[in-house]
Amino acid sequence: MGAANSLATNESAELVRRCRAGDGAAWEEIVQTYSRRIYNLAYRFTSRADTAEDLTQEVFIRVYRSLSQYNPKQGDLQNWLMRLARNLVIDDYRKRQRAPQDEAADDLEDHQYHLRAAGATAQREMERRELGVQVQGGIDKLSPDLRTCVILRDIEELSYQEIVDLLKIPEGTVKSRINRGRIELAKILRRMRVVEA
Amino acid sequence: MLCNEFEDQLTDYLDGALEAQANRDFAEHAMRCPVCHDLLSEVKNTLLACSASEAPFAGTGLEARILLKTIPETAITCSDFEDHLTDYLDGFLMAPLYHRWERHAALCVGCSELPGAVVRAIGACYTYKQDELMVPAGLEARILQSTIGNVLPREIRAPWTSRLVEWLRGALDPIVSPQLASVATMLLVSVFVLTNTVSTDGSVGGIYHASLQLAERAAGNASKSSALPKEMKQFADSVNDVMGGKEDPVKGNDANRNQNTSNQDGAAQGMKKSTGQNNPKGGNSNQDNR
Repeated sequence: MGAANSLATNESAELVRRCRAGDGAAWEEIVQTYSRRIYNLAYRFTSRADTAEDLTQEVFIRVYRSLSQYNPKQGDLQNWLMRLARNLVIDDYRKRQRAPQDEAADDLEDHQYHLRAAGATAQREMERRELGVQVQGGIDKLSPDLRTCVILRDIEELSYQEIVDLLKIPEGTVKSRINRGRIELAKILRRMRVVEA
Repeated sequence: MLCNEFEDQLTDYLDGALEAQANRDFAEHAMRCPVCHDLLSEVKNTLLACSASEAPFAGTGLEARILLKTIPETAITCSDFEDHLTDYLDGFLMAPLYHRWERHAALCVGCSELPGAVVRAIGACYTYKQDELMVPAGLEARILQSTIGNVLPREIRAPWTSRLVEWLRGALDPIVSPQLASVATMLLVSVFVLTNTVSTDGSVGGIYHASLQLAERAAGNASKSSALPKEMKQFADSVNDVMGGKEDPVKGNDANRNQNTSNQDGAAQGMKKSTGQNNPKGGNSNQDNR
């Protein structure tokens, strides 16, 4: 599932058409195809499983209500859906930054990790899991502005222009935040001995 | 020549500074005395080795230090270095700044390891991205419940009316696309103009009828001229057949004759008379055929 199994444009247009007509199976397919990617996006911003779940659910409710606005000629379903999800997740992230909460981030160990390398040894799997915990921990330590830009650029792999469009800030600011965020993250991970000098 | 004289003249021999006779004596001694021969070979090899050897590579550190001492104004600060780090990694740093940036990286102990650490941090992010978290159990069911109100979506079938509406929307989509809007507008305008100018009764059928009448007139004029070739007359007859529809040939010929007469009377009269008076059945049959 996820990005690797995203639907072809024609296929997704047909699915959306069926959804609009009220076909439940078509909507279920969309949910199954994209829920994981959206959940991961939400988790990287929130660092909390329950908040990420609520956010994912909210994204899909918004998507379901907006299906009539989807136009296959303006891009495939995945791009449209992820754009909508990013907007919602970032809005939520900004709101939470304005109203700080005393809850601590989840421990990533609580989650079951999907390890794609089928033949990976237990040692290797542990190392990967540990790396994930540490990287998320390092990202959590960044300031909100830097964190948003680093996640969008280095994890979501958006272009500078896409980040500019999404955050509605000048390109120079985006570049500067990405640069500063990377340096801060590198220093944090070096202190945590995740990356050795 | 004695061996000690050979040693004294060794450097002059290698430099080619001996006179001809002394040079011959030196060479002769080198051939006869194995010790002096070995000495000559050893000195020659040593000189070759010396000329071939080079100082170890100084690296960018030396160049950076020299430039820092001589033109300190070109050095950049640690803050500038960090500001341009991503541009450097992306390959967007312009040449003059690029060299100053690299000189700072070579000299500054605090900054020299930073680019490598940033690259490894980006790599760690990519690795982290590869290992996606699984969707928690029950989340998809909750999403389905909150959107379509059912956790068994396959039970929810689209009603045939909704399917029809969606099918029509898909089928009509190309028609309502902006590219075809101008074409559709032009067609509507031309139909409007033609119905108000050409058509006798203001309908689209009237345009068709009027065009057939024009063709009939042209054919009638052609058959009237005796100078026309046989092919043209046959064409005129065929047009008359079309206008006559299923009428018998005699009636059709009569109609043609009347048509020719009315054409001679005048163009303005011709259209209405031949349509309304001379051959009303023919006109109707044409419309029916259409």
